[in-house]
Amino acid sequence: MSAPMGNGGASGALDGDAESADGTAAGVAPGTDVPGAARGTGFSETMLGTLRLDGDRRPRRVRLDLDVVADRVLRVLGTTAARATGRIRIEDWADDRGAEGELEISPLARRRIRYRIRFTAGGRRLLLDGWKSVTPLRPVASMTTLPYTLYEDGARMGTGTLRFPLTTQLVPFLSSFRFPRRARPGALLEPRWKGEAGRTEVWYTTVTDPRTGTGLWLHHELVAPADGSAPYAHGWVALFPADGPVRHARFGPGRWPGERTGFRSDAVTVRPGRLTGSAEDGALAWELTERPLDGPLFTFPRWSWRRPLLPAAQILPAARASYDGTVTVDGTTLSLSGAPGASARIYGHGNARRWAWLHADLGDGDVLEVVAAVSMRPGLRRLPPLVFLRLRRGGRTWPRRPERTAVGWAGAGRFRADVGLPGWSVTGRAGLRRIRVEVHQPAERTLALEYTDPDGSRATCRNSERADAHVLLERWWFGGWRTEAEWRLDGTAHAEVGTR
Amino acid sequence: MSLTGMVAALVADDGTADWPARVPARLESFLASLPRPARAGMRAAARALDAYAVARTGRTLAALSPGERESLLAGLGRRPGLVPLLDVLKVPVLLASGTEHMLERQGLPRVAAPPDPPLDCTPAHAWPARSTADAVVVGSGAGGAMAARTLARAGLRVVVVEEGRHHSTRSFAARPPLERFAELYRDGGATVALGDPPLLLPVGRAVGGTTVVNSGTCYRTPDHVRTRWSSEFGFVAADGLDEHLDDAEHTLRVASQPLDVLGDNGRLALDGSRRLGWRAAPLRRNAPGCKGSCQCVVGCPTGAKQSVQLSVLPAACAAGARILTEARVDRILVDADRPGGPRAAGVRVGRAGGGLEILAPLVVVAAGALHTPPLLRRSGLGRHPYLGRNLSVHPATSVAGRFAEPVTAWRGVLQSVGVEEHHHAGVLIEATATPPGMGSFVLPGLGRELRRELEGADRLATLGAMIADLPSGRVLGRGRPLLRYDLHPRDTGRLMHAVRSMGELLFAAGAEEVLTGIASRPRVRSLAELDTLLSGASARQLHLSAYHPTGTVAAGGDPQRSPADPLGRLRGVRGVLVADASVLPSCPEVNPQLSIMAAASAVARAHVER
Repeated sequence: MSAPMGNGGASGALDGDAESADGTAAGVAPGTDVPGAARGTGFSETMLGTLRLDGDRRPRRVRLDLDVVADRVLRVLGTTAARATGRIRIEDWADDRGAEGELEISPLARRRIRYRIRFTAGGRRLLLDGWKSVTPLRPVASMTTLPYTLYEDGARMGTGTLRFPLTTQLVPFLSSFRFPRRARPGALLEPRWKGEAGRTEVWYTTVTDPRTGTGLWLHHELVAPADGSAPYAHGWVALFPADGPVRHARFGPGRWPGERTGFRSDAVTVRPGRLTGSAEDGALAWELTERPLDGPLFTFPRWSWRRPLLPAAQILPAARASYDGTVTVDGTTLSLSGAPGASARIYGHGNARRWAWLHADLGDGDVLEVVAAVSMRPGLRRLPPLVFLRLRRGGRTWPRRPERTAVGWAGAGRFRADVGLPGWSVTGRAGLRRIRVEVHQPAERTLALEYTDPDGSRATCRNSERADAHVLLERWWFGGWRTEAEWRLDGTAHAEVGTR
Repeated sequence: MSLTGMVAALVADDGTADWPARVPARLESFLASLPRPARAGMRAAARALDAYAVARTGRTLAALSPGERESLLAGLGRRPGLVPLLDVLKVPVLLASGTEHMLERQGLPRVAAPPDPPLDCTPAHAWPARSTADAVVVGSGAGGAMAARTLARAGLRVVVVEEGRHHSTRSFAARPPLERFAELYRDGGATVALGDPPLLLPVGRAVGGTTVVNSGTCYRTPDHVRTRWSSEFGFVAADGLDEHLDDAEHTLRVASQPLDVLGDNGRLALDGSRRLGWRAAPLRRNAPGCKGSCQCVVGCPTGAKQSVQLSVLPAACAAGARILTEARVDRILVDADRPGGPRAAGVRVGRAGGGLEILAPLVVVAAGALHTPPLLRRSGLGRHPYLGRNLSVHPATSVAGRFAEPVTAWRGVLQSVGVEEHHHAGVLIEATATPPGMGSFVLPGLGRELRRELEGADRLATLGAMIADLPSGRVLGRGRPLLRYDLHPRDTGRLMHAVRSMGELLFAAGAEEVLTGIASRPRVRSLAELDTLLSGASARQLHLSAYHPTGTVAAGGDPQRSPADPLGRLRGVRGVLVADASVLPSCPEVNPQLSIMAAASAVARAHVER
């Protein structure tokens, strides 16, 4: 990887170029073409009621629990289409946890909140179709009463009414509302560079083949030199076999063709879901498909990616991904099938003065991403490394805000890094948890490469896709620290240390 | 109750016959079907009469002797200003008296009612609160039925929403006419257009709409009317109307009425016309096998009249349409935020215990020319300045002739013969008899005089005439329609012309005297007397009624003047078709059932083929 912080501090100090770049990028289409700007809506709703099947005099009790997701923020004055999943329980008849359907939420424009929920009961595929008919004369009753009809293959089976129980469900309902950012597929892979001089942009992918233990590193880089000369694209591929020396090859530099969906230079491409290319006249060639397994992970604050105020920022379009395909090295083909790894993106002014990076797939869907870097900017270069640590565990990311680990509370309580080789470590505490990350990069499993910044200065990185790591997560509990989780990665951690 | 005294006075109940004693009860049950203001007005009038009697004699009307009542009433009848009010009181009393008198004389005729073709009817209380369809048709009359059939045959899931109930032929045969009258007509037939002069405008309310209670007369739209619709108004759907008229005629099995059951009323009209050399012929009707029950206006008890619930709606149901009955549409649901502008989304129907809603991307409005504008207004679709205007009604009046021999007009075809001699002048005469008391002709006199007329009604032949009028009315209101109609001076002349022509025809047929319906001179014995009378009379003195409201959501090419576009689509919203009499750009000049059916069919077809 290339270091995400260069030519300045990570303290948020504004740089003249950065400000104008931000103005251009955000000013053209705020919140639309900027990845991750648009928000969706999510909420949960529970309704209780009855169903009377045709030909059956007995009303049956019904409970419907729905998780509703919309691709946009709920429009109060307009209409919002949403998807719903959940569980329906019908007394003595059905209990389907796989109920799914759609909602048309239009309380004012159409005065209607319509539910179309499909579910299975007794082996029969049924449709519940009904709507709340909102009227200003009886706002509460009309917003909480859902008369519906039940259909099987378009033929009516029964009718009923569901009601939203205000007394018990209003607070859970209101507190369930979320407005998550909506990820447009592939949006985070699109180039950020808009023609400014003195920028570097990176697409890099690291993979571990679980079958052979081989590590793979694909690095694609666009450099727009600070002197205003033509931008160029280049990169390299490196293979870290379990039983042999590291093999790497460079490609480029080549012309930057102005690709819109990802990276392309001659035969090397990065597109959503696909990575292809070759180097050294085909001595190393790869053809991979990428399947995201998680949402984006913003190692640096999200705002720093949307508005490039920091000298550089790094993100992961998907915190975890799986890779299939082939990598050919000097006539030998390595086949990957469901190999874990991740792609990441960097955009900024250049590399940091000193940095360390770790991507650790902890298993069971958990992942740890760490970047610790020292700024190039005069004055700030004397500060200790700023640490950005993101632990995604059980779908939640800790600490909640990336700034917390980097700057703490005005410097107090920030996470600390001890950067060196062959071992380096990061420690920190946030809330009732503390973490210790120790990384070991044995020299024989490490590749040293030289980076060139847009301003022509150079840095050396030492990268290993077969590093070891030890992660200890502890939680404070009535007077003492108790181990909450501990992971040991033996040759499957992806790490790098950069120096000048 | 005070009705007893009023009835006893008006029909001179002297105890010599049983039937007058039963009239108050019959009247009570009829009043129950009237709208509240009409009911209150009747009761107030009865109380006022009683109060007058108490003031004059110290006793109520019921306590007076027949002679005292007679002299009291005669005193009132001498005041010209009170005569029109007393006439209004007489109408329901005559309805009830005619029914009781008829039952006394002949009982309820037993007729064999055939089973009706099947309909898929569901009353509102049994309909789910939420349902969907491809098209909702509001109203099941001539227009709604044709639109429903066209759409259903095109494969759409159609729901027809009807405010009235479904009545079977068997139910018609089992009950006396007046009971059916109260149920089949909106407001008990007491719909009134306010204006100068006020006129009565009865419309039907049942599955089948007004076709259940019309006379079955089926005129094709005249060529010159069609040409005007097409070229002057730009109503494109009228261009191919011939094909749709053929289809409607075929569906309704329209044919000239055979002479065998025509009845003496019609025969006298034919005789008179022949002697005058006028063009006249038995009408073309949709009643094959008509038995001459003379009850068209309260539902044919023999099933001969092919009202749309016996002809068109069964075909629609066979194609999958469903009929929701006893359901009044509160409003058309409109999705205001659709891309491209507002769009109809279905209808909301009011009912006890919570309304029901049907979602459909197409709403066909066919609630009739009087009820379509209020429905659109309360749905927020009534912003077009000409919506509700352009109301033509075919104002009509009737005249009776007394003959030496019994005519017994209520045996035979109700509307039997058309006299088209003056049609070019906008006057269409139709020999129309009704069950006693139900016609628009109000017998003259009060007390004993009225009683004599009632008992001698079998020697009366009645003719009716309607005129092609200028659009002089408008429908106001959002809930109940409020009608305003001011007769155009040109049409006053046409009405006078119509009365004179009918008098001339009756005298030519051999009438001893003609009952003019004009209070100041209710009887004339010669054409010269009639001419003298008419030269000083005005239309205000006639008893006017109207049966054919049209044109309130006129279709046409001019967006400023036509609320509906040339294909019958309501302007300002997508997904709303107008397919009833309101879409006709101007008065059709003939009985409009076929015109409405053809226009509705054309509008629906244009939508399907779009």
